[in-house]
Amino acid sequence: MSAPLLVGVLVAGGVFLVLLPGMVRIVFGFVLLGHAVNVLLVTAGGTGRTRAPLIGEEDPARMADPLPQAFVLTAIVITFGTTVYLLSMIRARSPGGRSEEPSG
Amino acid sequence: MVLLIALALMGGLTLAAPPVSRRLGRDAGYVLAAGFAAVALVLSTASSTVLAGGVVSVSWSWIPSLGVSFTLRMDGLSALFCVLILGVGALIMAYSARYLPEGGPHGAVYCLITAFGGSMLGLVLAGDLVLLYVFWELTTVVSFLLIGMSGGKGTRPAARALLVTGAGGLALLGAVVLLVAVVGSSDLTAVLGAREEVAASPLGPAIAALVIMAAFTKSGQVPFHFWLPGAMVAITPVSAYLHAATMVKAGIYLLMRFSTLFAGEPGWTLVLMGSGLLTALLASVWALLERDLKALLAYSTVSQLGLLTASIGVGTSVALAAAVLHTFAHALFKATLFMLVGVIDREAGNRDIHQLSGLMRVMPVTAALTGLAGLSLAGVIPMIGFVSKESLFQGFTGARVVPGAGAVAGVLAVVISALTFAYAMRICYGVFAGPTLQPRLREPSWSFLAPAAVAAVAGLVLGPAVTVLNPLVRQASLDIEPWAEPPLFVFWHGFSIELFMSAATIGLGLVLFLTRDRVDRVLRRSSSLEGGEQFDRGYGALLKAGSAVAASTHRDSAAPFLARPVAGVVLLGGVGVVTYAGWGGARPPSGPADWIVLALVAMVVAGLVTARSVLGTVVLGGTVGLLMTVWFLRAGAVDVALTLLLAEIMTAIVAAFVLGREPRSLPRTGRRGALAAGGLAVLAGATAAAGTAALTGRREISEAGAFFLRAAEPETGGHNVVNTVLVDFRGFDTLGEISVLAVVALGLSSVRAGRMRSGSRAEPYRSPVLTPAYRVLAPFIGVLSGYLFLRGHQEPGGGFIAALVSGILVAFGVLIGRVGAAAGTVRPGAAWLPGWGLAVAVAAGLAAAVAGRAFLTPLKASWSVPLLGVLEFSSSLLFDFGVYLVVLGLMVTAVIRLGAEEEPVG
Repeated sequence: MSAPLLVGVLVAGGVFLVLLPGMVRIVFGFVLLGHAVNVLLVTAGGTGRTRAPLIGEEDPARMADPLPQAFVLTAIVITFGTTVYLLSMIRARSPGGRSEEPSG
Repeated sequence: MVLLIALALMGGLTLAAPPVSRRLGRDAGYVLAAGFAAVALVLSTASSTVLAGGVVSVSWSWIPSLGVSFTLRMDGLSALFCVLILGVGALIMAYSARYLPEGGPHGAVYCLITAFGGSMLGLVLAGDLVLLYVFWELTTVVSFLLIGMSGGKGTRPAARALLVTGAGGLALLGAVVLLVAVVGSSDLTAVLGAREEVAASPLGPAIAALVIMAAFTKSGQVPFHFWLPGAMVAITPVSAYLHAATMVKAGIYLLMRFSTLFAGEPGWTLVLMGSGLLTALLASVWALLERDLKALLAYSTVSQLGLLTASIGVGTSVALAAAVLHTFAHALFKATLFMLVGVIDREAGNRDIHQLSGLMRVMPVTAALTGLAGLSLAGVIPMIGFVSKESLFQGFTGARVVPGAGAVAGVLAVVISALTFAYAMRICYGVFAGPTLQPRLREPSWSFLAPAAVAAVAGLVLGPAVTVLNPLVRQASLDIEPWAEPPLFVFWHGFSIELFMSAATIGLGLVLFLTRDRVDRVLRRSSSLEGGEQFDRGYGALLKAGSAVAASTHRDSAAPFLARPVAGVVLLGGVGVVTYAGWGGARPPSGPADWIVLALVAMVVAGLVTARSVLGTVVLGGTVGLLMTVWFLRAGAVDVALTLLLAEIMTAIVAAFVLGREPRSLPRTGRRGALAAGGLAVLAGATAAAGTAALTGRREISEAGAFFLRAAEPETGGHNVVNTVLVDFRGFDTLGEISVLAVVALGLSSVRAGRMRSGSRAEPYRSPVLTPAYRVLAPFIGVLSGYLFLRGHQEPGGGFIAALVSGILVAFGVLIGRVGAAAGTVRPGAAWLPGWGLAVAVAAGLAAAVAGRAFLTPLKASWSVPLLGVLEFSSSLLFDFGVYLVVLGLMVTAVIRLGAEEEPVG
């Protein structure tokens, strides 16, 4: 039962952060929401089988579903791209480091 | 094949128009006129087949999965419209060559008018409903562009025309979809042969209504008429060609085409006759009130189209044949009148009917031609307008849909024609009679008048010689109603009832004309139903309502519009929790380590949401990421954990670059705002947890997952199943992902680069620890990246992970100012990396296509090398290299763009 609670904690934290003022909070709020969705995806593949899907090294009957893992792997890189982009927004909004934090 | 050549020629002319007009100026019109004539000549090679009742067609498979084909098809009805489109088009092109001012760029006008001719030709030649719809929309768009070209005053009319005819296009799309649903095919021949099926279907009336809606918007029938007079801001050749002779006839074509399915149905007949006659009556009154000659002609067009609609509605072979003939006649005299109004406007500088007077003495030829066209409009013997109007009368009196329909329609038709006669006389009177107010006017050059003269004389000759048109009109009528033999037209009917109706028309029309002052006074008192104002008001109100809805999101703060979708999800989740019945079923138990991870994550998230400093946020955010890595490892997702770990490190570095120059503390939160956000957040978290618990985690491995585990090794030779999914099985998805990343990199490149400070920080930062560490570690990290990349197919690793490792190396370098010193050289290269990566990935996919396999199918090759054994190579490695380049490009762009200020220059 830990996975649903983990999703819940991450979503609650993420939503709280994106609703508060400040671009930095929003960025990390989205990071938390990204984690939540990734956990959800892996959980959707089933939590009973927990061996890495590496042929020849693990017992095939206990290997985890590789498909959600592939989704999540690309999702992490996309989340990274989004995060970097959001961070660059902060940079674009505050010229030369003398500006105040944009009130979100 | 002939049809395809004709259409291709029109396309070629469209493309040729701009260069030709750059070279020849306005004289390009003559070249294009010759081109139109040539297309007509090409099509005429099929005339013997068509006139004998045959159908010329050509077809290619287009969207086979939907049964849609690119079919062109010409029968008699299409041929008649082709004659109009190409014939009038050639005249208009020759006219434009003198109407348009000398010099100045005309490429766009010529290109668009030719494109319109091509679209219209495609519309009447389309042999598939989907194709017909596409060409229909093309005519709408080109018309919009041509109206909009007349500058600021054209903006509003162009928008009106687009909105109204665009709505009609949607209706046509609806009709097409329903017809395909009923008939089971979008082939026009098949659809037209399915009269019984459509009549028996409950969808039949809806189809008819949608077709009528489409036709009414295009042909300016009440209540959609108001866009047409507005469209008169376009230049005269456009008004003459699009908004008199052809485009507005597209609606008429549609009604004629689908009469094969609906003619004789009482609903169809009543709607078409009722609104057609109403439109004709109202518009002829408005035309009588109008002073501007062009607007007068626009209302006249609306009125004549109303008569045509009503006649099509009658649906007998007599009425349909009359409608076909009148379509032809109207195009001829209305285009002539527009061209002549353009001539008068150009020469006299005025087109107000009350200020033109006595032109006959100074411009006798222009005046005479205007008189000829005016008489044809008025339906006076011996013009072609006379013959077609008499046949319309004949059709109307034969209406039998309800008792007395014929009589009512006949009387209304006489009244409408009398009004038409009256305003035609006003045109002629304004031109001929009265004192000559502008004695210095002169006749324009013969080349300016020639196109109008050809059309005017044709209208005169084709009256007595109407039998020449019989074969084409007869075949067109037969194509609409194959079961009824249409009448043949003759110039002189003898003393029939129609002749007396014509006499009554002229008598009543003369009275209306002679008492015009009193008529004007009476008419001006009646309120106008013109409609354009009301439309604009309604449209404005709609836009205002839209801004009212959007206003609450037009703020600097993200919370108001982020809260709404979250609240929506909570609401849906609440409904789901109440109604869901499948809570039972055991989940695999979680081990103690899972609970520890959960507890740690909860604590760190609690710290994160209450953090006041930027540094704390970054550190705690990274900590959550590290804990997630542990969770993924526990779930058997090794590659995911590795990727996440590296991504977290990169995020931390980039955040350090960006946030280093931000204020140290986060903005304060209001107590009430925080409470509201917290409440929503708790609800959202609970919903998410409940959803996850309800819907996931219990089932065995998915079918797809089992397949990948089974097939990975035999099919790809790879042992790391996740990597084979990414690069072998689902390569297309991955290609999509890296395209997104490339776009993000592009976006980053466009963000203002950090300012390079020259001089102020000349000395690079030299850390006694980091700089030597970088020097020692860089080669190792580089090798590690290469190793991770190469082994990705077998063990944890691959393009994504290897690129993240390299990215960390670059970021490290920027951090200590190593790479920064060379930033000037790295920068342009970095911008290209994602593009190269995409190119490599696509090339890997295309290699399979070249080899005759599906796109992105991995190709394998193996060589046996002495000592090393068998070496295998798969094109998926090349694909993975593309992934590597894109991700690396994103990393490098990010650290260099965002870290730029960190580094000194020169």
